[in-house]
Amino acid sequence: MTLIQVIAEVWDKNLMTMRTIEHLQMFSIALLLSIIIGVGVGVYIYSRPKIANTVLNLLNIVETIPDLALIVVLLPVLRLGAGPAIAASVLYSILPIARNTYTGLKGVDEEYTYVAHALGLSPRETLFKVRIPMSLPLVVGGIRIALVFCMGVITLGGLVAGGGLGTVLQNGIQLYQKDAILIAGIWTGLLAVILDAFAGIIEKKLHQRYGTW
Amino acid sequence: MKDLSKNSSFLFFPFLTEGIFKMQNEKLFDRIDYIRFKNITKKYGSSFAIEDLDLGIEGGELLILIGPSGSGKTTTLRTINRMIEQDSGSVTINEIDTRELDPVRLRRNMGYVIQNIGLFPHMTIAENIGLVPKLGGWDKKKIEDRVRYLLDFVSLPPDMFMDRYPRQLSGGQQQRVGLARAMAMDPPLLLMDEPFGALDPILRKQLQKEFLKIKKEIGKTIVFVTHDIEEALILGDRIAIMNQAKLVQVGTPEELIFNPVNEMVASIVDTDRKFKHMDTLKVKDLMSIFEDRYMIDASLNACDAVDKMTRSDVETVFVFKDGEVLGQIRMMDLMKCKEENIKVEELARPVKSFKPLDSVAFALSDMKKSGEYLSLVMNSSKPVGILVSDEVLLKLI
Repeated sequence: MTLIQVIAEVWDKNLMTMRTIEHLQMFSIALLLSIIIGVGVGVYIYSRPKIANTVLNLLNIVETIPDLALIVVLLPVLRLGAGPAIAASVLYSILPIARNTYTGLKGVDEEYTYVAHALGLSPRETLFKVRIPMSLPLVVGGIRIALVFCMGVITLGGLVAGGGLGTVLQNGIQLYQKDAILIAGIWTGLLAVILDAFAGIIEKKLHQRYGTW
Repeated sequence: MKDLSKNSSFLFFPFLTEGIFKMQNEKLFDRIDYIRFKNITKKYGSSFAIEDLDLGIEGGELLILIGPSGSGKTTTLRTINRMIEQDSGSVTINEIDTRELDPVRLRRNMGYVIQNIGLFPHMTIAENIGLVPKLGGWDKKKIEDRVRYLLDFVSLPPDMFMDRYPRQLSGGQQQRVGLARAMAMDPPLLLMDEPFGALDPILRKQLQKEFLKIKKEIGKTIVFVTHDIEEALILGDRIAIMNQAKLVQVGTPEELIFNPVNEMVASIVDTDRKFKHMDTLKVKDLMSIFEDRYMIDASLNACDAVDKMTRSDVETVFVFKDGEVLGQIRMMDLMKCKEENIKVEELARPVKSFKPLDSVAFALSDMKKSGEYLSLVMNSSKPVGILVSDEVLLKLI
């Protein structure tokens, strides 16, 4: 049997096409929620500088909880399935996105906000036309870190019947199928690398366009 | 900066400001009749940034604010668009106190150009120029037309530059875009804070020249901050000299040069330096090149001389006999004795002549003593140039 045949067999037996789609679905939901919440938190603490540090420290604490523990803690609330994995991903991903958004907004050179102000832009227009666009490269940098987090945590979701490629790995471990473990593991890693590279390209493009540092 | 942080708390209540949005787009004033600073004082801690400033700016003039750093010139400029709020006193534009106006609306009614330009790096040139019109609700077509017009106006071919990003432009080009952006809403008032300060000297001279041309075309009221007295003398209709937070003197360049109120003004307009500067200049640096049409033969009679001079479009000629200069003669002198058959030789008045390497200061003072405004520059026995005293002064300033 050639290598390709082995892969094809394992792939079919484990329904890996379906599992991949499942996986990417959970991943997308988690990342999307992370971005919405993360950017929201970042913009919010930018406008409330007094609580910024407290919020970031709280998020840091969440970050220190081991991922498996976090998923298990969420189990009673969210039940078995995709819920705990997605929720854990989001909790992990808020910090890098919020922190980068906050740093990005704060880091915009005063020169530009001064000019915006002097040209007659209102504070809100300055935020949306100058601050946010100019901090985009940093925000995307945060999203890129979140992307890798999400990929890992979603894979762990297999342990709590979350579906996705984690399930294939879980089954492989339970039944001691080395082929399945290897193939699903490499495939998961490859997906993460591809997505990260894709995000990297976007980040670079944004840097070229918006970056000043 | 202070009111920036003050306003940031309103970031999340945008709806509060929504109501005045429409109002912001209306023109506050079609033209500037008069801007008056009345007893303006601004303090930072215990030190004065501006102390009891009284100043009037006429509509349509270019007023220069000049002084050493820390003299309050930029602070004064910024009270006009309320980027800085004075502690006491008032700024009125056409008799309206600026504090009664919404600051955002006020700022949209005046153009603002700063030294470091501050083009937004994430926007194309067209987007930068069209930003405020866009926020003002103009439609796409109108914005594009305006951007094209303005780029043309500052001598940047629109098709070449519209879609570029600021970093793809040279410093001088960026500064032109900065000016175009300031004029986007066609404001009657332009505030310029050392707009050419960051450019290299040659480029600065070029842009000043262009700006002088533009200034005449647009007929706007301009308040211009600089620390470069040459720039001030070239561009300013009037110059306000500030020192240590106070207005020292305001007047036309001539008034300041000829009637400085104190040593400090005299040293800023620095007529001394000009003369020192002149010491190093040679006659050949400032003379006009001699042309054959300035030469007339001694044996010609007066009538023929007038004809010849009319044809060659000169008012004064130098009389030569056998390659030797006899003197100068003006058209006016010839006209008087037209009837008689008289030779130019007899009418020639003495003329001073200098060598190309003589110093200009020496030549000018010599000419002034004998009341001449023209003199000849001779290299051995060959005429090479003409020195015109008025012209020398013009070239110096």
